Amino acid sequence: MKFIDARVIDNVSVAEEYYEMSFSWPSEETPLPGQFLTIRASDRTTPLLRRPFAFSRFDDGVARIIYQKRGDATAILAAKTRDEPLNVVGPLGNIFPVPRDSGRPVLVAGGVGIGPIFFFAEHIRAHNPLLVVGARTRGLLPAESCPHGIETVYATDDGSFGFHGTVVDVLKTTYSTDDNWILYLCGPEPMLKAGHEFATERRVPAWVSLEQTMGCAVGACMGCAVRVTGGLGYARVCTEGPVFDSREIVWT
Amino acid sequence: MDLSVKIGSTTFTNPLGVASGTFGYGSEYEKLIDLAEIGTLYTKAVTPRPRPGNSIPRIIETASGLLNSIGLANVGMVGFVEQKLPFLATLSCSVVVNVAGDDPDEYREVVEYLDRHDTVNTIKGYEVNISCPNVKCGGLALGTDPRQVEQLTRLLKKTTDKPIIMKLTPNVTDITVPARAAEAGGADAVSCINTLVGMVIDTSLKKTVLPAGTGGLSGPAVFPVALAMVYRTARAVTIPVIGLGGIMTADHAVQFLLAGASAVQVGTANFVDPNIAVDVLRGIEKYAETERLTTIQDFHTFIE
Ligand SMILES: Cc1cc2nc3c(=O)[nH]c(=O)nc-3n(C[C@H](O)[C@H](O)[C@H](O)COP(=O)(O)OP(=O)(O)OC[C@H]3O[C@@H](n4cnc5c(N)ncnc54)[C@H](O)[C@@H]3O)c2cc1C
Ligand SMILES: Cc1cc2nc3c(=O)[nH]c(=O)nc-3n(C[C@H](O)[C@H](O)[C@H](O)COP(=O)(O)O)c2cc1C
Ligand code: FES
Repeated sequence: MKFIDARVIDNVSVAEEYYEMSFSWPSEETPLPGQFLTIRASDRTTPLLRRPFAFSRFDDGVARIIYQKRGDATAILAAKTRDEPLNVVGPLGNIFPVPRDSGRPVLVAGGVGIGPIFFFAEHIRAHNPLLVVGARTRGLLPAESCPHGIETVYATDDGSFGFHGTVVDVLKTTYSTDDNWILYLCGPEPMLKAGHEFATERRVPAWVSLEQTMGCAVGACMGCAVRVTGGLGYARVCTEGPVFDSREIVWT
Repeated sequence: MDLSVKIGSTTFTNPLGVASGTFGYGSEYEKLIDLAEIGTLYTKAVTPRPRPGNSIPRIIETASGLLNSIGLANVGMVGFVEQKLPFLATLSCSVVVNVAGDDPDEYREVVEYLDRHDTVNTIKGYEVNISCPNVKCGGLALGTDPRQVEQLTRLLKKTTDKPIIMKLTPNVTDITVPARAAEAGGADAVSCINTLVGMVIDTSLKKTVLPAGTGGLSGPAVFPVALAMVYRTARAVTIPVIGLGGIMTADHAVQFLLAGASAVQVGTANFVDPNIAVDVLRGIEKYAETERLTTIQDFHTFIE
């Protein structure tokens, strides 16, 4: 974890309302898949708090994020151009654990969860991962940013591209009992919950990367708590997470 | 120039502190800023037993502000001594422990326990949180009743020789009333303000965003309110007043000092940019130098 004076290298639209930004990043602070950073979007007091984004890729000296334009902070980010300074703290949080046994990693991404899942897919390319990428509709799929040469299934809720249904529907139709899967999911909470339920029924291990509004993002404020089964009943997404064993989470 | 501040028996080397609840127990920020530059680190509240904290979500951003409902989530006094105090003991900045409880006896229990286990005298004072809007007992209820404020102050002064700083709530009609009560009870200083009670409703869900309904508002939005409260408090008591609420820049901090504060704390701004606290200190020193102010008392000579 470090304070980094980064510079924007590129900032392009990759799907409707989705952007991919690349920026300079010191090699000695190499981020790993699952980890995130925080950006202070502007020097003004609105938006006030730093915003967390997961790394979507790292090449020597260049880091990337894929983000959706949602509100004030991401609108400011989307307007940034080459060479603009970027006030960043990172890398933060834990990582997706690399599968140890021979099981097949199945990586599931939806919405703003695509960035960290793409990063992880590249990282464990040698484990022959299966990538499942979902969106509401075709226009929201950043097809160009998807890692190449990895088996990928696309799913859209409206059937406009790839499989007609949710990513968890894909899992249900693809899975057979001799499959030795290990699941990794990042995306909207209902998707994570459905993924967890699928994993519990089929006795498949599942790792989920969670989102929660953050204050400090370094473990100091207890603001980013989520309900877990152990300890005092809460864990911090910024410190104990963002990646959790899905069985540790109290799903509501 | 000597901008040190004396509170009770302790001399704090400079007027800058980082506010309770925004800086954890110090180690969280170790990699981001040089902790030696900070004058005083106010820890997250410590209660007798560990507390899980309030339901989620706990944080929501508002216009230039932050509404929180953390609910004093903390490791408890035993956990604090075992897990947090050893690191704090290695720091060169002063450490003040923020204390909270459900009733006066719980506050006493924490102070007594910490005093007993602080074998190398790491703790330079206690800041008594009688102003948390996010818990049912203790906290705010206690802090709005001057009689209870005075009694609790007296009880804690009897319990420890270390400085007692009573942290006041802005959620009262007249902040000078609890301030005077704290002074009457023997407080060595008062700090103000804690967060202001606030609320946000999600109109599509037709529900308050915070499950608890209300939360505590902090950040730049509260600055003018905090400044007026510090100004009034400094004129009502003779003990030092520590000003906080919404500091984002050195100019804000200087305003607190000119209004009568003897020290300041940076809170929510630590989340926004961990460099702000040290920048604020540098800015105060620079202002003092250009304006030829050599002590904190010099700041108090301009505004009646
Ligand atoms: C660990 C983590 C990783 C993330 N990775 C990505 C990513 O790779 N790509 C991406 O597009 N988004 C990611 N997000 C979500 C991203 O942080 C929000 O989209 C962003 O904060 C929205 O800010 P805004 O001002 O544009 O929108 P706002 O209008 O402020 O908020 C829109 C929504 O974003 C969330 N949000 C707002 N403030 C915060 C905050 N301080 N901390 C966390 N969430 C907040 C809330 O759910 C809110 O409803 C991640 C969040 C977390 C916690
Ligand atoms: C997330 C958060 C947690 C806090 N926790 C505490 C606490 O444990 N004890 C306390 O006395 N004040 C606590 N406070 C209040 C701050 O110390 C400070 O009084 C208030 O935020 C106003 O200052 P600011 O605007 O600079 O943040 C907390 C504030 C925030 C934002
Ligand atoms: S955001 Fe402060 S503890 Fe996680």
